[in-house]
Order: sequence, then structure tokens, then C-alpha cells
Amino acid sequence: MSQVEFCISCGAGLVEEGSVTFKCPNCGEEVIGRCRHCREMGIKYTCPKCGYEGP
Amino acid sequence: MADLLVSEDEYLKAGVQIGTQVKTKQMNAFIFKIRSDGLYILDISKTDQRIRTAGKFISRYDPSKVLLVAQRQYAHQPIKKFSEIVGTRAIAGRFIPGILTNPQLPNYVEADLIIINDPVIDQQAMKEAVKIGIPIIALCDVNNRISYVDLVIPTNNKGRKALSLVYYLLAREAMLNYGKIKSYEDFHYKPEDFEAPL
Repeated sequence: MSQVEFCISCGAGLVEEGSVTFKCPNCGEEVIGRCRHCREMGIKYTCPKCGYEGP
Repeated sequence: MADLLVSEDEYLKAGVQIGTQVKTKQMNAFIFKIRSDGLYILDISKTDQRIRTAGKFISRYDPSKVLLVAQRQYAHQPIKKFSEIVGTRAIAGRFIPGILTNPQLPNYVEADLIIINDPVIDQQAMKEAVKIGIPIIALCDVNNRISYVDLVIPTNNKGRKALSLVYYLLAREAMLNYGKIKSYEDFHYKPEDFEAPL
């Protein structure tokens, strides 16, 4: 799942340790990337395909 | 209320909705109301929805690469039963540092997804999952912070019956999404099978 290089919430590059990519928990089609900062702060992410809001 | 995985009564009887008297701002979205004694009550429909989503999410990973972690005593039996049924791996009890990060350890586990019972108690597992960059599903109560959690399942993560019901539903959803059962009737387990002995 390395095709996503940017955080879906803030647009930062996913270079830092602690960033993650995974397929949308709901639809499983769109790959979601989250940077360390957004994960730490619990910032919302939205799937561009199905509109699912996490975490 | 829209159709739930089990009846609302069963959820309430198990105490899945019971929170704590302390809440974090991050869990505001999952809170239904505050009781007169100051206890926060979780929204069951959101718990139900998250269990469904988690079931789908788990089923996209190879079961042998899914790891469940729980230090809390009442969660030992539920995660062991879950692992036995779904075929995942489970670490009940002390999480030895390095299990996810040190390949030289004899009990080293290579995981692609981790399910954590309590982000506070299982913080060592959280730290290692963050370090290796795998998604984290966590059962979060009202008093938990959701840092580094990628999918929150808002539930009472302390009660014996609540834990057994949540893991039972999670196992059922995962099995359905893996295609190992065709309908809920094919799932021949009961929440009591997941319950920790007193």
C-alpha cells in the first residue's frame, strides 16, 4: 500500500515513523494515509470514495 | 432505532453503553448522554456501526497476521475465544516488549493489524504498533484518548459481560466477512462462550 504518499487529513508527506496507510475500513477501495501528527491528535479522516469518517 | 446486530436489550444488559465519570474530548462524538450521577453513557448505535466496520476491516487481512492484545483479566477469555474461532493470534496478559519489533525474540510476531483492548493498559503494544506502522483498532471507553488509533470501537472495555458481547459480535462479523459463515445462524457460539470465568 505504498502508492499513497500524503496524509489524507493534512496533506503532509508520510515519511515519519508512526505514519500508516490502510484501505478504508468501510469500503475497502480507497487507500487512506495518516501522518504521525494526525494520528497522535486523533484528527478525523474521511474516505474520498464512500465518505466514511474515522477514527 | 435502526436494526442492530443484537437487540438493544442485550446491549443494555451487558452494559456495553456504560462509560465512566471522566471523559476525554476525543470521545465526545460517541457519547449519548450524561446520567444524573455523572456517568457518561455511550451511543449504542455508534458502537454497533463500528463493530460492523471493524468486521469488514479485519476481513481484509490474513487472520494469521491479525494480533489481539489484552492485559485486562476479563478480556483474556474473549480474545482467546476470538482467536480460536477466527484464526487470529492473541496475547493475553503481559505484552513482552519487542514482540512486534525485535525479530530475535523467540515469540516475535509479524502482524499487519492489531486490535487493542484498552489504549491505556496496552500502551506497550500501541507503541510497538506505531513503530512498525500498522493500523490499530482499539476498544475505547469514554475516558480513553484515541491517539494513534485508526478505528475506534466505542464501548465499555472493562466489564466482563460487555467485553464478551463485543468480542462475540466482532468474531461473528469477521467470520461473515471472511465468508466462513453464510448467515448469522451458522455461527454456533453464544456470548457466554466468550465470557471470562468469575
